Amino acid sequence: MSQYRTVNLPEDLCVAAEKFMKGRFESLEALISFLLQEVVKDDVSKFDQAEEQMIEQRLKDLGYI
Amino acid sequence: MKKRSLVLVTVDCLRADHVGFLGYSRPVTPNLDKLAENSTVFSNAIVAGAPTYFSFPAILASRYPLALGRDVLGIAPHEPTMATALHDAGYATAAFLACNPYLSRRYGYDQGFDVFQDFLNSAGSGPLPLGTTPGRLSNLNRMIQAGAGKSGLLAGAYEELYFWFCQWRTAQQDLPMETLRRYPAANVIVDQAQSWLSSLVEQPFFLWLHLMDPHHPYYPPEESLAALGVPNMTARRARFLNSFWNRGDIGPRRLKRHQAEILSLYDAGVYWVDQQLSRLVQALQNSQRWDETVFVVTADHGEAFLEHGDRYHSPTSLPEHLIHVPLLLRVPGLSGRRFSQRPFSLIHLAPTLLDAMGVSSPDRFQGRSAWEQISAGELQGEPAIIECIDGCNNPAQAEDRVRPRLMAVRDQELKLVVNFRENQDYLYDLKSDPGERMPLSSGQRTRDRVNLLQIARRHLLRTDDSQRTDLRLRARLRELQQSERMAGSSANLA
Repeated sequence: MSQYRTVNLPEDLCVAAEKFMKGRFESLEALISFLLQEVVKDDVSKFDQAEEQMIEQRLKDLGYI
Repeated sequence: MKKRSLVLVTVDCLRADHVGFLGYSRPVTPNLDKLAENSTVFSNAIVAGAPTYFSFPAILASRYPLALGRDVLGIAPHEPTMATALHDAGYATAAFLACNPYLSRRYGYDQGFDVFQDFLNSAGSGPLPLGTTPGRLSNLNRMIQAGAGKSGLLAGAYEELYFWFCQWRTAQQDLPMETLRRYPAANVIVDQAQSWLSSLVEQPFFLWLHLMDPHHPYYPPEESLAALGVPNMTARRARFLNSFWNRGDIGPRRLKRHQAEILSLYDAGVYWVDQQLSRLVQALQNSQRWDETVFVVTADHGEAFLEHGDRYHSPTSLPEHLIHVPLLLRVPGLSGRRFSQRPFSLIHLAPTLLDAMGVSSPDRFQGRSAWEQISAGELQGEPAIIECIDGCNNPAQAEDRVRPRLMAVRDQELKLVVNFRENQDYLYDLKSDPGERMPLSSGQRTRDRVNLLQIARRHLLRTDDSQRTDLRLRARLRELQQSERMAGSSANLA
């Protein structure tokens, strides 16, 4: 089961974010969770890393790393 | 000194080898050829991505297409572009784009423009292909198709018969080219631009036109065909040719039968662009604006005509006919010159143009201004990087974008194509093999291969730039806002 953490945000920012949500997210927590998931998600960066490794391996194979 | 104005014309699908000023023998661009005599011509202009959705972030925002993450499409909200920089510098700005859905407000291309018209609500969609309209005939067809699909031989026979049945049906409708065309022709876009220009008073301006005439399906105006000596091409014939060219069930050998006619239709589209741009130049001259106007013509990518068996411009490979585009830069007071050696990447176009206008480039731009070199007549050039997502033909679906990259590093004579899906790289000597038929073997030109691989590596390391997280987040949020599946997504997130 997940542990939870409480964070403090400015009230006016929360009001603006809730206005932005307009029913797109069930709650402010859901919006913030989405944003943080986007920051830490790694399905895109996994490709970048694999591609970097492929080039490095190729350079190693050619004896230049 | 009076501020310069800027006209940027981007032509969808325009190949470098199909304009006269870069050596095409068919007289498709007589007016641009004349303009090129007093312009800077880049013989080796290379896009930073292909097709449209992977090319334009570089053209307008000087940003490599995958730099914000491969799942981000278009210009991110609040991302600085050539338009925002000029708008902030006090320019009147307008864009008239001939109905390319990837260059719309949805993908942030309206940012920085006072007037933004993408014609997406007014374009004729053309008649639907047979078999896609509702009705008993369509249902019956689908049943036969499903049955025939169970056997390879029957499926082939079905496809053949169905194609000719559709031709027979459509031959009974005598529709003109204008009805068949899917995009507003260049004259419509230029008319709108002229109308906007005439509304301006003394303010300097930035005008962006995107023209789709050479884009498939190829339905050019009849007068273009007549001017190019193709007088017998009727709308009915053009409709047949476009249908035939679009067939997915036959190979290049059969398609080649109609290649010459398809090329005539494409060239006639290019000719129409040339004629309409001549009208625009004339209008600028008549309004006394020409002497202060920087005028640029380029393209977002080229087009395939079976060179490697392909048609259109799918990002399944990065051959020269897809990445090599025309670039003509006319700057008042700068005499005609030609840079024909090192490549010039369109990643550098926006900072170069802003520099020519005397406007500072946003810090976030990844390209660098070459204006000083150009005005001195000594363009250094450097290898150009081109990237896209391999086989991404439906970028509106985020999952279609989260796939391996396809990348090329293009130098003057050598070109390295890195296919990450195949875990392979291919080195071509463009001087001895301009058609890219035979990659060099692994043991050939090793030092050069290593140099290009190192450039590719540096580019990938640069892509991993956490400074861009804010733009990425904004773009992802925009997509979420626009998604029809928003309710489902939010429920999952709760």
